[in-house]
Amino acid sequence: MQLHYDAATEDFRAEVRAWLEANQPTLEEMRAEPVKSSAHQTGWSRRWQRRLFDAGLLVPGWPEGLGGRSLPAVQQLVFHEEMARIAVDRSTNPQGLEIIAPSIRDYGSDFLKEKYLLPTLRAEIAWCLGMSEPGAGSDLAALSTRAVVHDDHFTVTGQKIWTSGAQHADHCFCFVRTDPDAPKHRGISVVIIDMKAPGVRVRPLPALNDRDHIDFNEVFFDGVVVPRDHLVGPLHHGWSISAGSLAHERGMMWLSSARRLDDTLERLRELAREEGPDGRRIGESATFRDAVAGLYVDAQAMWFMGYRGFAKFARGQISPEHSVLKLFGSEIAQRATRLATEAQGVDALDVDYRGWTFDDSRGRAPWIRQYLVTYGGTISAGTSEIQRNIIAQRVLGLPRR
Amino acid sequence: MDFEIAPEQQDLVDSVRAVLAQECPTALVRDIVENGSAPEQPWKSARELGWTSIDLPESLGGLELGFTALGLVVEQHGRRVAPGPFLATVTQFLPLVCEVGTPEQLERFAIPAGAGELRGALAVDHGRAPEHALGDGLRARRDGTGWVLDGERAYVLDGDSADEIAVAARIDADDGVGLFVVPQRAAKAQRAVALDASRPLAHLRFDAVRVEPERVLGTPGASASSLGRALERATVAAALECVGTCQTLMELTVEHAKQRRQFDQPIGAFQAIQHKCADMFVQVEKARATGHFAMMAVAEDDPRRTLAASMAKAAASDCQQLVCKEAIQIHGGMGYTWESDVQLFVKRAKTLEALFGTGRAHRQRIAALLDL
Repeated sequence: MQLHYDAATEDFRAEVRAWLEANQPTLEEMRAEPVKSSAHQTGWSRRWQRRLFDAGLLVPGWPEGLGGRSLPAVQQLVFHEEMARIAVDRSTNPQGLEIIAPSIRDYGSDFLKEKYLLPTLRAEIAWCLGMSEPGAGSDLAALSTRAVVHDDHFTVTGQKIWTSGAQHADHCFCFVRTDPDAPKHRGISVVIIDMKAPGVRVRPLPALNDRDHIDFNEVFFDGVVVPRDHLVGPLHHGWSISAGSLAHERGMMWLSSARRLDDTLERLRELAREEGPDGRRIGESATFRDAVAGLYVDAQAMWFMGYRGFAKFARGQISPEHSVLKLFGSEIAQRATRLATEAQGVDALDVDYRGWTFDDSRGRAPWIRQYLVTYGGTISAGTSEIQRNIIAQRVLGLPRR
Repeated sequence: MDFEIAPEQQDLVDSVRAVLAQECPTALVRDIVENGSAPEQPWKSARELGWTSIDLPESLGGLELGFTALGLVVEQHGRRVAPGPFLATVTQFLPLVCEVGTPEQLERFAIPAGAGELRGALAVDHGRAPEHALGDGLRARRDGTGWVLDGERAYVLDGDSADEIAVAARIDADDGVGLFVVPQRAAKAQRAVALDASRPLAHLRFDAVRVEPERVLGTPGASASSLGRALERATVAAALECVGTCQTLMELTVEHAKQRRQFDQPIGAFQAIQHKCADMFVQVEKARATGHFAMMAVAEDDPRRTLAASMAKAAASDCQQLVCKEAIQIHGGMGYTWESDVQLFVKRAKTLEALFGTGRAHRQRIAALLDL
């Protein structure tokens, strides 16, 4: 066990840092073209992702030509630490880069790789992920969007919901039921659907905090024709892709949530210097100090647990850290922002969102908005309750009912 | 950088675990608690296997494996609620002596303590921890070439059984910190009726106790940072023992939830119980990861060590509160009994929460370090 990196790794860090300083998008660029959803690619975001791709720093663990440099695990971690430091994500279509591209690489045919992998990595196309449905949330395997299998195509009919970025996506990586008679986990397949195909309709679903904050959508498929060669992996084997997809980069995905928590803690420290509703400095309150210190410990613990999980990931071992970090991180974010709104008192009620963009980290959105947004963290991608079930059953070995 | 235990460290952990499983059953701890017995084990094994000198340099007869190795050994002691002089001697007395001792003092105190031939204790003000743990209860004044101690120190771990007590006192002349090693018999000891009898606490009275120059550690009045550094070690060690205790308590509880059946199923199949268990797991993971970070920060003398020590103690305290609560609750009526081992773990964890500053006290320091 040791805290410090060796000299060669630190040299690599210096190289990455210098490259990022020279190549990262400027704040002016980013403010001029705000990002409106998780599949909205702007001029600056396309250029930035392309620069990362060309430099082999987009997915550094991947080989040359696929946006990488075949870096060993420790250097990948250092790269992600430096990315966290500049606080700009690699892509404004994270599900495309982090989930769909690796899935196509692992499960797609040569045809699909040729057609979709490089364009995704080079930010030429954007994706949404068709998973949840009105009747299949936590119980994802209950999904009922039907794809009828024909000789050379599928006909897809059904509805997805909570589809992030669907209004800006070019394609949907969609989980559909291809065998309605098989047990629920066995009759699922993955197809790639063109979002401009006839029969696809997108209805925005604004989030509770702001009618203009639109990432989620409902997506309706009405007899949408999908060519047979747009099937990903073997027919009826979609469930294993869902498990595989979500496992990609788990070893390092926690870094961005740890970084966001650090930002939140930094903002709480600034809030401490402001005047509260009682006219006193917020940081003078013993309760506030105690709570912020506790949150600081928790936010730091995110890094320490993440590093532990990473150490296992780098050794090729499975670790429970992902569920722990997801559960823990999303709940801390909620506690932290709720604390801020309480300290602000009536000042928290000013919800003038104008000027704030989809990407809150770019600006300084009102605390109350950040607080409401944290519920996305405790509900999406496996609710806190599902994460606790996973820890209890898969890690601690408690019996399923 | 690597947060995972290295293979040779894992070998150490495995061997400590195996020895303690053999030599330190809970029956041994219960015998101390119920009958006031004074078993040779596991101190005898710790001495014979060199755990007592694991963090001492080879020049002092140590294994020179560093504070990381010591921390891992302490965590294993916590897992078995191990009793005995290990914690006070190796993680409290020795660090202070090693921080400022002259070669003669190291020869006289550190080498025998590392060899397990001398039992030590550390007398600080736990209520004033972590800032400097000094308080006004004990004062030192110069007297010719030596010093004279007057006052009290409460809740000194092993305060009535150690051979030598490392003492932090306030210097009369300038309010600075003075450090001394005093033979235990020079103080009047009154044993407290401690919550955890396997972690015996004593109140020590110093009535004009004269300390000869060769027993003065460092420069009286200018020893605040040395005391602080030694306390960081003691604090991290207490946090790690607490984490180990909580881990075993969580495991006992999960095992109970798998075995105990009600309404025709194991109670562990109920989601209400599963979620409590998951929350315990998260707290243990958090406390251990934070404790291990602090252990490495001290071992490598990283600039974050002060903050890290407070974070480790705060995290261990959070963990202790949740795990003890849920362990008793999930064990149900049995968890409420004297017969169940749950009480041994709960009392040890609570003791470790209070020693060297509670979570709240450490969060106050963290708030100050963060300039809130």
